[in-house]
Amino acid sequence: MTAIRDFFRSIGDAWDGLHPNVRRAIGVAVLVFFIVLPFFFTAGGTFIDNATRALAYAVMALGLNVVVGFAGLLDLGYVAFYALGAFTIGWFGSSFYAQVNHGKGLHIGVTGVTGQLPGIHFNFLLVLVAAVIVCAIFGVLIGLPTLRLRGDYIAIVTLAFGEIIGRVAINGDSLKPFGYAVTAGRQGITPIDSPDLPGLASFGPLDLRPWYWTALGMALLSLFVSFRLRDSRLGRAWIAVREDEVAAASMGVPLVRTKLLAYATGAGLGGMAGAFFAAYFNTVNADQFEFSFSIFILAMIILGGLGSIWGVVAGAIVLSYINTYFIPNTFKSLPHHIGLNFDLTDLSFGIFGFLLVIMMVLRPQGLIPERRRKLELTEGVGAGDSEMPIEVSV
Amino acid sequence: MPAPPDFDLHSDSERGLEAASIPVRATRAAPFEAIQRFLSRYGLIIVLLALPLAFMASDLAHGHGFAHILENLKDGVSNGAIWALVAIGYTLVYGIIELINFAHGDVFMIGSFVSFGMWGTLGVTLGTGTLGRVGGLIVAGAIAMIACGSLNVMIERVAYRPLRHAPKLAPLITAVGFSFILQNVGLEWLGGSQHGVDDLVDAQHILVNIGGVHIINADVLAIGITIPLVLLLVAFVQNSRLGKAMRATAQDPEAARLMGINVDHTISLTFLLGGLMAGAAGLIYALYNTTIRFDQGFEAGLIAFTAAVMGGIGNLQGAVLGGLIIGCIQQISDDRINSTWTPAIVFAYLILIMVFKPQGLLGEETREAG
Amino acid sequence: MSEVAPQTAPAATADGPRVAEPGSSNGTILEASGVSKIFGGLVAVDEVTFSVPRRSIVSIIGPNGAGKTTFFNMLTGLYKPNAGAIAFDGKDITRARPDRILAAGMARTFQNIRLFATMTALENVMVGLHARMQAGLFGSIIRLPSVRKEERLAHEKAAELLEFVGLRSSHFHQMSVNLSYGDQRRVEIARALASNPKMLLLDEPTAGMNPQESERLRAFMQRLRDERGLTILLIEHDMKVVMNVSEYITVLDHGEKIAEGKPEEVRGNPRVVEAYLGKQTGE
Repeated sequence: MTAIRDFFRSIGDAWDGLHPNVRRAIGVAVLVFFIVLPFFFTAGGTFIDNATRALAYAVMALGLNVVVGFAGLLDLGYVAFYALGAFTIGWFGSSFYAQVNHGKGLHIGVTGVTGQLPGIHFNFLLVLVAAVIVCAIFGVLIGLPTLRLRGDYIAIVTLAFGEIIGRVAINGDSLKPFGYAVTAGRQGITPIDSPDLPGLASFGPLDLRPWYWTALGMALLSLFVSFRLRDSRLGRAWIAVREDEVAAASMGVPLVRTKLLAYATGAGLGGMAGAFFAAYFNTVNADQFEFSFSIFILAMIILGGLGSIWGVVAGAIVLSYINTYFIPNTFKSLPHHIGLNFDLTDLSFGIFGFLLVIMMVLRPQGLIPERRRKLELTEGVGAGDSEMPIEVSV
Repeated sequence: MPAPPDFDLHSDSERGLEAASIPVRATRAAPFEAIQRFLSRYGLIIVLLALPLAFMASDLAHGHGFAHILENLKDGVSNGAIWALVAIGYTLVYGIIELINFAHGDVFMIGSFVSFGMWGTLGVTLGTGTLGRVGGLIVAGAIAMIACGSLNVMIERVAYRPLRHAPKLAPLITAVGFSFILQNVGLEWLGGSQHGVDDLVDAQHILVNIGGVHIINADVLAIGITIPLVLLLVAFVQNSRLGKAMRATAQDPEAARLMGINVDHTISLTFLLGGLMAGAAGLIYALYNTTIRFDQGFEAGLIAFTAAVMGGIGNLQGAVLGGLIIGCIQQISDDRINSTWTPAIVFAYLILIMVFKPQGLLGEETREAG
Repeated sequence: MSEVAPQTAPAATADGPRVAEPGSSNGTILEASGVSKIFGGLVAVDEVTFSVPRRSIVSIIGPNGAGKTTFFNMLTGLYKPNAGAIAFDGKDITRARPDRILAAGMARTFQNIRLFATMTALENVMVGLHARMQAGLFGSIIRLPSVRKEERLAHEKAAELLEFVGLRSSHFHQMSVNLSYGDQRRVEIARALASNPKMLLLDEPTAGMNPQESERLRAFMQRLRDERGLTILLIEHDMKVVMNVSEYITVLDHGEKIAEGKPEEVRGNPRVVEAYLGKQTGE
């Protein structure tokens, strides 16, 4: 265990010791590697499929990390933004609202067959922007009632919103505010328009590479946003709020604004990934928007290292792979080899749970801990909200 | 115990200094504040009563009398008794180590499964005589309680204790991990679909009819087990030496350690008590609903945790109150609105309660009650 | 309200010799009138009326539990008073939010040093600069030239402040939890100064310091006042520091103001002796 820790630490130290230009060169090399990676695999194969999902999960996880990791607001209802992002593309990128414009549809920036379909069809990029905006607004709305709450009370209120939005997704077919149903209920909205992006042709089930590159682009954007914000005035304010809300307010950090910006940023990234997932799965399935999804993403960031940007990416990739690749494939073939007579795929989420426990007990601070958190562990520094002035006895 | 801070960091955000840059006045009795005060005092009561009162009014308007709404509330209370028992487990554990024990709902599910299994083992079926059934229920209940209690203690030992000094959220993930493991155990045990349970207590049998409200066997069972258990538990926590140790640890683990309290044992005891209650709740659930399912604990856990927070987490009485309130909201919603909306309505209530009373219904007492 | 106490603001400014610098003698910077705070039936602060002349050093003393920190918390917006009004620099701040009060020019430190534990000394001070910076969400993501410049200036300013409070530059990038107690106090003061306040509230700044350190801090406070024109209000238990540094002293006991005046007046006040100095448990 300490060996692992030392290994990571020595890598970190070695990295810090490098010349900035060398670091930059390595960064570019890694980037090029990831861009050309799909050429070495089957265009419609499982590798690219898994890699695409992992990247999209990384976007989700980076978004949640802004809320939980940076600002310290425990959000258990992150699935809400997956749902809202997915519905944004369901609303603006499918034939769901077929009656719009007398059945002729509404088209912006779409070509080919899609341009003839009824319903609202916006270009994928426009939809992504819309998803970010819709989710950021909802992030603020959901954040508002939690502002005066602390710690686990925030958790339960966000959880409640997540569940409510999940319920609306399932029952939304009976909600018709202006004669238009909010969702398609359990039927789901399908098909979803294939993205129509310049330079990337043929998004479809046979060639997954454009999907991969889109996901990679979104992940890079999320990384960029995360790094820039972490090292900014706002990022410092988030960490200050996380460490000690009272001191932060006394030092001039406006709590409401700071927290709401964290919610909005995190929600925006989640919504972007949500819209992507809906397009990728070619459906907005209301039954997916469950609490366990929130927990899945939360597990990624805690496992990876709360607040640590690279850690979160690592956590997302590891859990995504365990979820989509490792368990169904590896374990399905295992029993025959070792002579067990029951199907281990039945045990998939039990094994998932077991791995969560093992990984957490072995590396409680996460795979790649945030530098700050490492210290928090060794020094036993709490989150600072239990220490109240002694004279105050309420 | 999370000390509810009194710092008021947010209020009056509407009023900037610019607006206030006027000579000091002695008082600022704005009507805005009066409304705020009124809402903070009575808002919650209004919110809680809105649903039952609205339907009562509509019943009366249609000439149906009080029977229907009272029947709803009666069902709600007996159903809520189960949530109350599960919620106690959340609140005890949260009170002492500030952890949302996500595996707790699944421990409750195991309670139902063990009860069911015990009837099979003991050979208690619909053909068994009354005495045999009662004996079978008592034995099965006792074993389910012990099984859940031990399971809970084991989970703490394996998944939480090693992480006691880890970041606060680390044990949350191991809790989720154990929740998955237990669900999978349930799945392997009885399969993925609903599993019928013999209606051993003749649950729907109407015992008495008080002014149109039908008291059925299931009600008597739920209330009859919950009340004594809760009373015993409260008495234990408040009066016994171990209970005092629990409260001391909840207030300040470090100080408790210095006072010679074995903190590890005390935490184990807390998990044991929570597990016992969950086991009893599992038994009642199986008899009350006559079906069990491997993922019943997931929803129950969510509801019970909501109940615990609603009542003011860390507070025993609050957990019971929260459970009963949620039971009533669920019943009214199931019966009057639509059961597919029920979870959304329960959670909307939770949000409203958090807005009006951020510490939960009985949250302020947490400090004294430990 | 206490009738023993000599009356407040106007009289106090009139004969405060060290306050009367030319051009800046325009009265009080902070004025609290009839301020009360009640916690669940317990009156923590009871109708305290109190004022601080501009560019003075004023102390609040009193036994433990006298309501001093509660009073501080009301001044800085952490608590809302149940009654009364507080004016700072001509503005009513009775119910203002803490961050607005800071922006108005009143900064504080805490009794039990509340640094952001996992931030470096420098970052802590940069949080103190928050109110004086502009960068928003999008500006920070794009890192506009103006944001870049602001960030660099903030960095310089923070380093300058840490130097000013006497932190060794090798400690600038240390996590604040790893700093010694005295250095943590220094960083906290630098963080409070970062907002360029008009008035500084120090809650038991010499707690845990040895006499030499306390003496240095006392000199530092006077320097702040003389060089930077700050008004300083402090809660302090160390009588040597209080008597040496304060122009005025206010004594609280059980939430009530029981005395007020210059050090020599307060020292001789029988109620103070009874309530505070008489009880050796005061420290």
